Amino acid sequence: MSERSIIQDRERVEALLRKRVRERRSELLRKSGARAAFFVLLILVWQGLAAAGLWSELLFPHPRQVLDSLVVTFGDGSMPLAMLASIRRLAIGYSLSLLIGIPLGLLLGRIKLLDNTLGTMALGLQALPSICWMPLAVLWFGLSEVSMQFVVVMGAVMAIILAVRDGVKNIPRLYIRASRVLGATGWKGYLYVILPASMPALLTGARLGWSFAWRALMAAELIYVGSGLGSTLMMGRELHDMPLVIATMIVIVVIGLLADRLLFGTLEKRLHRRWGVSGG
Amino acid sequence: MPKVLLDNVSKLFLSDSGPLQVLSNVTLPIEEGEFLCVLGASGCGKSTLLNLVAGLEKPDHGRVLVGGKEVSGPGPDRVVMFQEAALFPWLTAVQNVAFGLKMAGVGRRERQERAMELLSLVKLSSFANSWIHELSGGMRQRVALAAALALDPEILLMDEPFAALDAQTRDQLHVEIESIWEQTGKTIIFVTHNVREAVRLGTRVLLMSPRSGGICREYPINLPRHRHLEDVELVKIASVLRDDLRDEMRGSGVADV
Repeated sequence: MSERSIIQDRERVEALLRKRVRERRSELLRKSGARAAFFVLLILVWQGLAAAGLWSELLFPHPRQVLDSLVVTFGDGSMPLAMLASIRRLAIGYSLSLLIGIPLGLLLGRIKLLDNTLGTMALGLQALPSICWMPLAVLWFGLSEVSMQFVVVMGAVMAIILAVRDGVKNIPRLYIRASRVLGATGWKGYLYVILPASMPALLTGARLGWSFAWRALMAAELIYVGSGLGSTLMMGRELHDMPLVIATMIVIVVIGLLADRLLFGTLEKRLHRRWGVSGG
Repeated sequence: MPKVLLDNVSKLFLSDSGPLQVLSNVTLPIEEGEFLCVLGASGCGKSTLLNLVAGLEKPDHGRVLVGGKEVSGPGPDRVVMFQEAALFPWLTAVQNVAFGLKMAGVGRRERQERAMELLSLVKLSSFANSWIHELSGGMRQRVALAAALALDPEILLMDEPFAALDAQTRDQLHVEIESIWEQTGKTIIFVTHNVREAVRLGTRVLLMSPRSGGICREYPINLPRHRHLEDVELVKIASVLRDDLRDEMRGSGVADV
């Protein structure tokens, strides 16, 4: 190929790339536009229904009232405080679940005996909704922070163990054989091959564990009235403060979504880029 | 003393349809510096032979000796190159090449230098920091070759390493592996189902067949080096081998070579 045609080619490629970028941008715009329009419509319908006065305002508040409730609770600091209390509990309970779940999952994936015993138990306990641990936790630890964290750990750890175990089991045999040939045996094999090779599964497990932990915590806080978003929700019910109930629900959804999208979404994207499409 | 010796080796596999004797009482000496090509249809036990030397599998009967010592597991003196490039997607090309050195405890700077040398040997210097999924099939096998050479093994075990590549890339890699073999004098065991590839590369070609439970024929190849796949002499020998292979297949009831 002559030099000139290479240059022409490069120009053509660049033009094509520019066009792709433009297309992708407009597609993104269309998508987020549709999404925004949907939510605006939803709020309008809500507003319309509330204005129609079909139900008592006590049961079906205006969007405006919910917004006011958000403004007030954020303004007087009660909502941020509740958020902080919940997030702190979650951070402790969830970190513990990861610290227990990931190593156990890695071991279970490689050691048959452990999988047949502990793995079966984890699978069984996975069937138990995490809030069912609450009575036991209260008897053991009293109505305390420890009880709540216990429930969070029990809710998240089984899912993490099982997801990581499945990931380890699905590591291509070729990697294991290659690692043996190249001298990665024993702890080196774990650290340099099994652990990185199960990264996608680890991330799936962590994401799943997060959503279980979040659900478990909210359930526990609903029962244990003290602090946190769950108890704010309960307080709203007791005070018959429907706007507060809905406002808190919105906060819970937003926190869950943000963690899922921002934290795990970003990590997953980065992993996919590194591994290529097939690896992720 | 031969570099590698399979001493009366048998290997049995249990399949759904009953036990399968892939190797039965195989005795095979392989001399140092030999380029041995092992030829056969799938299921004839040629990969098993390779895995036994690699230490990835154990014989049910008999012994595998390398340098006079019995093989008990994989070792850095015998590195396998698999059909599908066994590269780790979480590492870049150069990190993959350096992986074996890292496991052997070689320092960071030294293994980086050595890995870069090897990448330039396989003409991939400019792709050192690429992720594996960004490389083509041929480039991946080149990286895998560099990774295998990094440990400077005395024996290179190659399990149909070029089977999934296009003809042109394969030609190039034939030239490269031949020159590496000439320069380093390594012992190479090269498994393939491609007859001409075997004749192109080997100092000796073994024909394996499931009927005989292992090696059925053996051909020394004395053609001058830097052979081409189209050489008349090479094609002639290859056609003899192909006929023999067909005969073996027909006898074993396995159709289609």
